[in-house]
Amino acid sequence: MRNARFVCMPRSVEEAVAAVVEGGANPLAGATWILRAPLRGEALAEGYAVLGGAEDLCAVEIGEAGIRIGAAVTHAALSVALVGVEGFVGLAQAASEAANPAVREVATVGGNLCAAGFAASDLAPALIAAGAEVEIHSAAGVERQSVEAFLAARATRPPGWLMTRIFAPCSARLSAHARLPLRQAGDYPVAILSLSIERRADGAIASARVAVGSVEPVARRWPGLEQALEGQTLDPDAAAEWARARLGDFEGRDGVEAPGWYRTQVLPGLARAAFRSLRAQV
Amino acid sequence: MALSLTINGEVFASRRDPMTPLIDVLREDLALTGAKAVCREGFCGACMVLIDGRPAVSCLTPIALAEGRDIRTIEGLGRDGEPTPLQQALEAQDVVQCGMCFPGMVVTLTAFLAAEPGATRDEIKRALVGNICRCTGYERIIDAALVCAAGARD
Repeated sequence: MRNARFVCMPRSVEEAVAAVVEGGANPLAGATWILRAPLRGEALAEGYAVLGGAEDLCAVEIGEAGIRIGAAVTHAALSVALVGVEGFVGLAQAASEAANPAVREVATVGGNLCAAGFAASDLAPALIAAGAEVEIHSAAGVERQSVEAFLAARATRPPGWLMTRIFAPCSARLSAHARLPLRQAGDYPVAILSLSIERRADGAIASARVAVGSVEPVARRWPGLEQALEGQTLDPDAAAEWARARLGDFEGRDGVEAPGWYRTQVLPGLARAAFRSLRAQV
Repeated sequence: MALSLTINGEVFASRRDPMTPLIDVLREDLALTGAKAVCREGFCGACMVLIDGRPAVSCLTPIALAEGRDIRTIEGLGRDGEPTPLQQALEAQDVVQCGMCFPGMVVTLTAFLAAEPGATRDEIKRALVGNICRCTGYERIIDAALVCAAGARD
């Protein structure tokens, strides 16, 4: 018997790009999303390129300007790499709380961002809040775009591309990540709120970047709340009220685990929790 | 082309589709039925095995990603027919209920207690976040793990 499906093992970024862009293979990292394709009524691809053998895709590099995360870095490896790194508390929380320990050991940053049908990604809103960008290789060359722009367009992007790295700028911003799973931990959250803020000398918020995940099909920023937060102090209860006044900005997705209205209604509570986390960092 | 899988110290060749979940090879081809295929979504932990010493959900591990690595199932934890100290503690505490989740619990705790022999109750609970028990037998499992941890410290 012969295996009809092919799986190749590139050993470098260049080999991985060639396998996907020219060879027609689909990227395979932790496989936690891809192997559930039959449960979603989807077929597996004819060929896969295993990204874990390419060292550059599995590295986290922390420099003065920012951090560079290989697309095949796992949640567990990212959470370890970010211990004590200033400005990335929210991203570290997202990496260390997603799913469960065994899934975090294999599920990757790139996989989390590239799974177009996965609305409950923890890393997506955390990376949006961190102002991160992704690097994409395709036949057209190499491009860099914001995580939010990538997520908004990923479902319609024609095949034959590979995400290789994620870049997040270092800054003096405070960040936090608040999520609501149905159990205390171990399942996907029904709603997520990630944010980062820059503070003025008097302690008030100079600018805020707020991202919401799992509420709608694709994670995105919350411009209305960002504007409301400018000039305000780190008041958790006030943040909850500002969020409550702007819940109409979202149309929650209905799902078996929660109806859409519930996902939006819990956002004020998540804003409060995120602000408590910010205040604890001051 | 055959894939080479090292399971409980023995090498097996599998001609299955490389995207076959490891759990199916364990149960259907090798009769290693301790790991259970329950949710097939990586949430319940009943299919947990060790890969290179780390807990892994075998329902979401294609055999292509397991090739050349050290796979250990619940059947391979004891040595020379002797249960491990953790297994002995679980038996002594009369922890086992229906047995569906149990092999996965033991596999997770085996790796966790090896890495964190002085673990606290809360730390053990956090380690078991990915193992679900429908019999709600968590507390006695944790009691036994604490006994085992205390034994390792003494």
